[in-house]
Amino acid sequence: MFISRIFKAALGRFRSSLQLRALAYTVVLSGSALVLLGGVLSFSIGNGLFSTRTEQAIIESNRASYAVSRIFMNVSGSDQKQLNDALEEVVPELESIGVSQSRQVAFLYSTGDNNPLQLKSPKSITLDDSLITNEFRRKVHYSKNIQSQTIQIDRAGEAIPAILIGQKFTVPGGSKYELYLVYDMHNEQQTLGFVQRTLVLGGFVTLIIIGFFSFLVTSWLVRPVRDAAEVSELIAAGEIDRRLPVRGSDVIAVLATSFNHMADSLQEKIKAMGQLSTMQQRFVSDVSHELRTPLTTMKLTADYLYSQKENFEDMSKRSAEIMRSQVDRFDKLLSDLLEISKYDAAGVKPQYEIQDLNGILGTSLESIQQFADSKQVYLDVEIPSGAVQCEVDITRIERILNNLLTNAIEHSEGKPIKVRVGQNDSAVAVSVTDQGIGMNEAELEQAFERFWRADPSRKRTTGGTGLGLAISIEDAQLHNGLLEVTAAPNLGACFRLTLPKRQDLAMGESPLPLKLGSES
Amino acid sequence: MSKILIVEDDDALRETLEIGLRSNGFDVCQAATGLEAIPVFEKHKPDLILLDLMLPGKNGIEICHEIRKTSGVPIIMLTARTDDTDMIRGLEAGADDYVTKPYKIEVLVSRIKARLRPIKQVQHTVIKLGPVELDTLSHEVLKNGKKVSLTPLEFKLLLTLASHPNEVFSREMLLEQVWEYTYKADTRLVNVHVQRLRSKIEEDQEDPKLVLTVRGWGYKAGPE
Repeated sequence: MFISRIFKAALGRFRSSLQLRALAYTVVLSGSALVLLGGVLSFSIGNGLFSTRTEQAIIESNRASYAVSRIFMNVSGSDQKQLNDALEEVVPELESIGVSQSRQVAFLYSTGDNNPLQLKSPKSITLDDSLITNEFRRKVHYSKNIQSQTIQIDRAGEAIPAILIGQKFTVPGGSKYELYLVYDMHNEQQTLGFVQRTLVLGGFVTLIIIGFFSFLVTSWLVRPVRDAAEVSELIAAGEIDRRLPVRGSDVIAVLATSFNHMADSLQEKIKAMGQLSTMQQRFVSDVSHELRTPLTTMKLTADYLYSQKENFEDMSKRSAEIMRSQVDRFDKLLSDLLEISKYDAAGVKPQYEIQDLNGILGTSLESIQQFADSKQVYLDVEIPSGAVQCEVDITRIERILNNLLTNAIEHSEGKPIKVRVGQNDSAVAVSVTDQGIGMNEAELEQAFERFWRADPSRKRTTGGTGLGLAISIEDAQLHNGLLEVTAAPNLGACFRLTLPKRQDLAMGESPLPLKLGSES
Repeated sequence: MSKILIVEDDDALRETLEIGLRSNGFDVCQAATGLEAIPVFEKHKPDLILLDLMLPGKNGIEICHEIRKTSGVPIIMLTARTDDTDMIRGLEAGADDYVTKPYKIEVLVSRIKARLRPIKQVQHTVIKLGPVELDTLSHEVLKNGKKVSLTPLEFKLLLTLASHPNEVFSREMLLEQVWEYTYKADTRLVNVHVQRLRSKIEEDQEDPKLVLTVRGWGYKAGPE
């Protein structure tokens, strides 16, 4: 567990640091190159040493062959004793001459021939004759030239490579012999070992130097990239005037130049957007003023006609009534439209104050009571005792609550509505649950869309604008809060508004559940 | 019969307003541009002015400033809701109240009546608040013996606070008692008028001694 965590941390670090990665790749790649180079060097040096030693051994064994000829020069081939005495001389003689500190000698009677004289096959005491295989002996026996073979000998328990040289020799009297010389390669082995150790050490030092230099180079290369990252962060954080320094004319300078160019055009775009937004707000304000003046006139006129309607005949009277209600509707639609376009232009400036949510709900309930009575809907209100304090723009919260209550009464089909207030350490909430017609899933998804109505075929009894919930959700989001809904066909709907207690605090969990049914 | 001056550049609206006000028993005079407003005001001496803020010639805020130099006549601004900053500037220039377009004639009439209603007569006393003296009968205000000219609304605000020294009035209570709002209204009305009042009676407006802010609650008249 612990190791895997360390591994994961290291992996994470590795993934996140470009420089570390570049460094690692450089070290691994140059390390592999060094290993390859070392291998080739070590192999060719070893080969060179071996072939030099072999050549030397062949020269020496020629010389040895000559020395053996000298021993047998005055020996009669028929005198067995004389022959055997000469044979005894061969090994000490050959062991003593030559440059190699130690060579082992064997002078073996050729196998296969009959030996009527009972001649000896002398050899060095230290020589293990199993090293001279029958196969090699046959090769020597049937060849005119000197033969050589690489073998391994054992010295004080250590395996050492050696060269076995074999050649034919005929002693006086015609008996065939084979002269074998074993040259060990202990010195060459040591030289090779030294060379290899030097190579490894040198390789390591080189690798460390490469690592150090690549660290320097990568930091020098990565720094502009890191600078660019820092500057982009700053720009993203709103310091739009930040730019990268441009030094020289290399690819890094090109990067810096294009980065700065990008930042420039971004800044221009933002400025243009800002101007557009200001123009839009200006336009909204102008339209509002221009529309409001004739609307005021219409409203005053309609109200005046309405107040005089008792003097009119029936048709004119009804016309006055319709006109007044439609002007009111137009008024409401216009103010909702203006409200939502204010949100679109990001021109909303809330006025936060510490308020009691119970109190705000009380005001809303009071204003909605008449409408509830007219629909014969019972409002079941459950609020915590004491104040439910929260930092809100009271007019917006009141507007949300009015909206939720009006909607619930409209859709409740006369069944009671449950209104609850709740609070916890970080959040306050209001839920409004009706048991009316509810919504299916497709309708639920559209509930907060502009100009959407739950059932287009239904009579628009209250003349709602279709913007109520769209404004409410903007109001909730303005407070860093949430307005959520759940509903099911013919079971009703539950709307829940959750707001943070303070605008500088995170909201956390809602203190009220979002579920249907009167028991919730 | 109270005379109302309507300063409104939209002919149809001005005419409709006239019909509405006349049918509610007011006498009406009119100005269609900002430039006409002051001469008509001086000629007809109206009891109250309804002032549109966006006017050709001279805007409502300038007119407000000019009228306040010579007169405390009640001024009610007629504004479109989006002119929030203009509305505040209008109040700072001395307008007493505002009504947002589109409005109902009943609302407008009730605002007019509230502003025209005389301050309830109390026994003649002189209320002292530090260096300031309020005469409840003559509505004269003296500061260190020198006359200070307050508008009727400012006088009513000061009187309300000073009659109950050290008692805290919330903004809503002041809206109800001074502006006679029976429903919820904009508390910024109170904030702006307290500032105006302070600028007239306080030694140092930044460090008020007479009309004090009670944070989170409202205002009260100073310690003496």
